[in-house]
Amino acid sequence: MKWLLIVFYYKLLMRPFLSILVGVKLVNSENLRQSGPVIIVSNHNSHLDTMSLMAALPFNQLLRTHPVAAADYFGGSWLKRFISRWVLNAILIKRTREAGDLSPTDQLIQFIDKGHSLILFPEGSRGEPEQIQSFQKGIGAILHRRPQVPYIPVFMSGMGRILPKGEKLLVPFDAYVVVGNSRIVQREGVLEIVDEVKQAILVQRDQYNQLNKL
Amino acid sequence: MNYFLSNRFIENNEVLSIILVILGILIFATVLFFIMGRIYPGDKVRELQQRTKSWWVMASVFILATVVHPAISFVAFGLLSFAGLRELASISKNIRPEDRKVIIWCYLAIPVQYFLAYMGYFNLFMIFIPVIMFIWIPFVLVVRGFTVEIGKSMSVLPVQLMFTVFSISHLAYFLSLPELTGFHAGGRGLLLYVVFLTEMNDVFQFTWGKLLGRHKIIEKISPNKTWEGFVGGFLTTLVVAYFIRFLTPFTAIESLFAGAIIAFGGFIGDVIVSAIKRDIGLKDTGNLIPGHGGILDRIDSLAIAAPSFFYLVYNLYYA
Repeated sequence: MKWLLIVFYYKLLMRPFLSILVGVKLVNSENLRQSGPVIIVSNHNSHLDTMSLMAALPFNQLLRTHPVAAADYFGGSWLKRFISRWVLNAILIKRTREAGDLSPTDQLIQFIDKGHSLILFPEGSRGEPEQIQSFQKGIGAILHRRPQVPYIPVFMSGMGRILPKGEKLLVPFDAYVVVGNSRIVQREGVLEIVDEVKQAILVQRDQYNQLNKL
Repeated sequence: MNYFLSNRFIENNEVLSIILVILGILIFATVLFFIMGRIYPGDKVRELQQRTKSWWVMASVFILATVVHPAISFVAFGLLSFAGLRELASISKNIRPEDRKVIIWCYLAIPVQYFLAYMGYFNLFMIFIPVIMFIWIPFVLVVRGFTVEIGKSMSVLPVQLMFTVFSISHLAYFLSLPELTGFHAGGRGLLLYVVFLTEMNDVFQFTWGKLLGRHKIIEKISPNKTWEGFVGGFLTTLVVAYFIRFLTPFTAIESLFAGAIIAFGGFIGDVIVSAIKRDIGLKDTGNLIPGHGGILDRIDSLAIAAPSFFYLVYNLYYA
């Protein structure tokens, strides 16, 4: 049932919508094909970011890949909670923690230990169009505790023009999703790992700029 | 099945023969470059193979457009315009972030323009973008209220509409032209004629330029274009235009004139897109990976050649 909803939404609705009507183009999307758990990290400018990445995944990875979202934003009403869980396949993370709650890191590591994959936007919020903000520590904390899990750096360009933060009207433009190779963290400390991941995303950005140059 | 295929297709010998010619050329080129790639492997041959691959895509699209039911062709041409406009709007430096919502109006003009073409409302079809949208877009920009550099957007958006929607919709309008007595190939024949000649002109100019090219024709914009390539391509296109004039109602002289218009128009369209790309520093308009984007690179020559040819044949035979 859940499989049907998720496949229907991402593959039958979003995939053709994004590629034909919106103009999202995937570069090296075969890098997303993974057998084990993996963390997909990307810059974040639009709700379309999640949609594009999920729609680009192979069928058999859809159900065990979860976008990570903020509970106060996406868990606001029962309808939003239902859609997040049953259609978007998202994990909702509380930004403010009450006594007795699992820490967000523990919550996400539980999913990784089950063999599931995550889509993380370390910038936290979508921010200004086409700007990369400073990264949150969460990605570092997870990879510090599970250093054997590979991550895939992704750079997206153009999403902030199609559907920027705070806008309701979607305007089609060409946008690119550049997917890097999966890799294992090289460095040790939490902050160092955050920095390494950020550099990996910036390398994808350079590659995007290179590809397009005269 | 009969509903989807246009019923006149099979009896239409002229159209069928030119389709066979196109397929023949493509198969020849594919085999030739495959063998060349085996003997002299290298980037140049790979580029030729890439080009042949995109010709296959182009040819399939246009051949299908002449074979299937016209309604499907109109949707296909509309999508071509849409992808072209989206690409042009995406790479343009002169569109301000505030113009996002105005671009929606540009996109909405596409179904209207193709509907007018489908219904054959010629007068409205002719003025909808150059007159009505030309006024409407600046008006919407004014209503939005961002005046800083508004002049740029007022000029750029209508030009982009002209280049990708108005021009390409003439290809679709060929399918709405009325039947002429004694002229069997009809609008489909004319459509194939202009697309085939425009694309062949590109190939001829490229080939003659590689073989003989010495003198740059427009170096600052398109460094690979030479006078030898242009003249050689021009003359070869005239010859082909003369020999395949069975697709048109033309006399011999008229077919040469049509060939000249298509060759010259194709060149103009090509360098216009080259200049736009040079301004932005792009190599290809959207060609990060083969098979994706790059729509403008495919339709640039057609954008000028198609309407030029359309008005020639319209004024000679349909007016």
